[in-house]
Amino acid sequence: MHRRLGVLLGLVVLAVLALLLPQFGGDYYVHIFALVFTNVILAASLRPSLTCGQLNIGHSAFMSIGAYTSALLAKNLAVPFEISLLGGALLATAVGWAIGYPSLRLRGVYFAMVTVAFVEVIRLIAQLWVPLTRGMSGLSGIPKPSVLGMTLSTRTGQYYLALVLMLATLLVLWKLEHSRLGLIWRSIGMADHLAQSLGVNIARHKLLAFMLGCFFAGIAGGFYAHFIRFLFPPEFGFLMATNILVYNYVGGRGHFVGPIVGAVFLSLLSEPFRGSPYETIFFSIAMLLTILFLPGGLITLPRKLAELRWWRTASAPTPSPAA
Amino acid sequence: MLEVENLWVRYGTVEAVKGVSFTVSAGSIVSLIGANGAGKTTSLRALTGLVQPGAGELRFESTSLVGLAPHQIVSLGIAHVPEGRRLFPKMTVLENLTMGAYLRPRIDVASTLTMIYEHFPILKERGRQRAGSLSGGEQQMLAIARALMSRPKLLLLDEPSMGLSPIMTAEVGKVIRQINSLRVSIILVEQNAMLALTLAQYGYVLQTGQVVMQGKAEDLLRDEGVKKAYLGL
Repeated sequence: MHRRLGVLLGLVVLAVLALLLPQFGGDYYVHIFALVFTNVILAASLRPSLTCGQLNIGHSAFMSIGAYTSALLAKNLAVPFEISLLGGALLATAVGWAIGYPSLRLRGVYFAMVTVAFVEVIRLIAQLWVPLTRGMSGLSGIPKPSVLGMTLSTRTGQYYLALVLMLATLLVLWKLEHSRLGLIWRSIGMADHLAQSLGVNIARHKLLAFMLGCFFAGIAGGFYAHFIRFLFPPEFGFLMATNILVYNYVGGRGHFVGPIVGAVFLSLLSEPFRGSPYETIFFSIAMLLTILFLPGGLITLPRKLAELRWWRTASAPTPSPAA
Repeated sequence: MLEVENLWVRYGTVEAVKGVSFTVSAGSIVSLIGANGAGKTTSLRALTGLVQPGAGELRFESTSLVGLAPHQIVSLGIAHVPEGRRLFPKMTVLENLTMGAYLRPRIDVASTLTMIYEHFPILKERGRQRAGSLSGGEQQMLAIARALMSRPKLLLLDEPSMGLSPIMTAEVGKVIRQINSLRVSIILVEQNAMLALTLAQYGYVLQTGQVVMQGKAEDLLRDEGVKKAYLGL
């Protein structure tokens, strides 16, 4: 009961902080945190696929599809933001189906290779289809996001939009993970043949988990496009795809909050290196340190520290009764 | 209720099952015995759709099983307790049982669970414990209980006594009898021929992919060849 109360209290504090940030944070922090929320959406939406045991290193491609689709719909066809955002996410889902259907039968590293190749394919399409995407000149002039016809012209307004999108995404993913579907995903990740022999249609469920991730990656991409208002093909490359994976592993694979913790922690810590060559080094070191010292991820840190303290006190010399 | 006719299965160039035929009548226990590599497990895997037979006919209550996917076969009423690592070790006991009822509507899962707990009271006690932390015998009980969650008409048990102490083996035997008394037919694949033939009404002896002998279990138990080769008498 105490534990429950503690979790609830923690959530309330976090919510208040998130709501109040624009009041005392200033535009810089508002901007950074809107991007952090986007990363949380990306990291959390990769989790269903990872839980099924599919090493997906292609998430940035689906973000790219969502971003370009939403941007082009809004810019060229003046489609309202809500609809262009949804359109981008749905196209990402549809492409996810087309990629996932044939390749989800592959396992482990073979599936990973397909997703890596796909990232490059999407990047090259965005780069070479100049009449539509402007290629390497980058796509600019993307309209600001709007809700019900009201344009969110301030950074603060856009920050709250990102917050709402993130919370909605997390709510949906949390509900699904704690439903029967979540149990099935775990069963496939743990022992797929066994799940199959119990009657689970594993191909269908892997595809579903994969497409779910693609949908939310598309949402993240759509928001990003209208927030930054400039898209450049190499941004959505292999580096971003691996970063999303690293958020999951550094945060921890064992619990729903793992990718969230990982995404927040690493996005904030890597902020000074954003866009510089050191970014890759930073993420590599973070991954290596996790593998070496915290294989369960950051979420296991409190337990690890408690164990350490227990070990210290246990091994400390006990005062002799005579003293 | 189940007829297997001239079943052939091959893995690459190796022929694991070469023209095996057997039948199971409703409500009976049939055992397949034989040494390692005789084709017992492969025959079961063909029945559950985990491998596709090269030739032959498999009929369950006059439905052909050839070409059906595993989930379709489970929904017909055949449950499989595979050999080896049989559980989801990081899930709780209750979650493992829930997975067994995967294809059933949620409403009658609760009543099936009550029935299961009557037969396996230990699983109720251990409901929130991780399956991987159970003892070997308890794990085997859980694997069987999980298969029963789908309310099968036919239960395929692959080496249920493997790695168990003699006392636990006897316990598993008792459970198999109990399940059979609920009108569930059973195919029992065993290397422990003594256990298999004392439980079953009918037995088949497999050797290098073929049925070399069949008969009533009590007759097989008395057969000199079987005694020598499989019972160690």
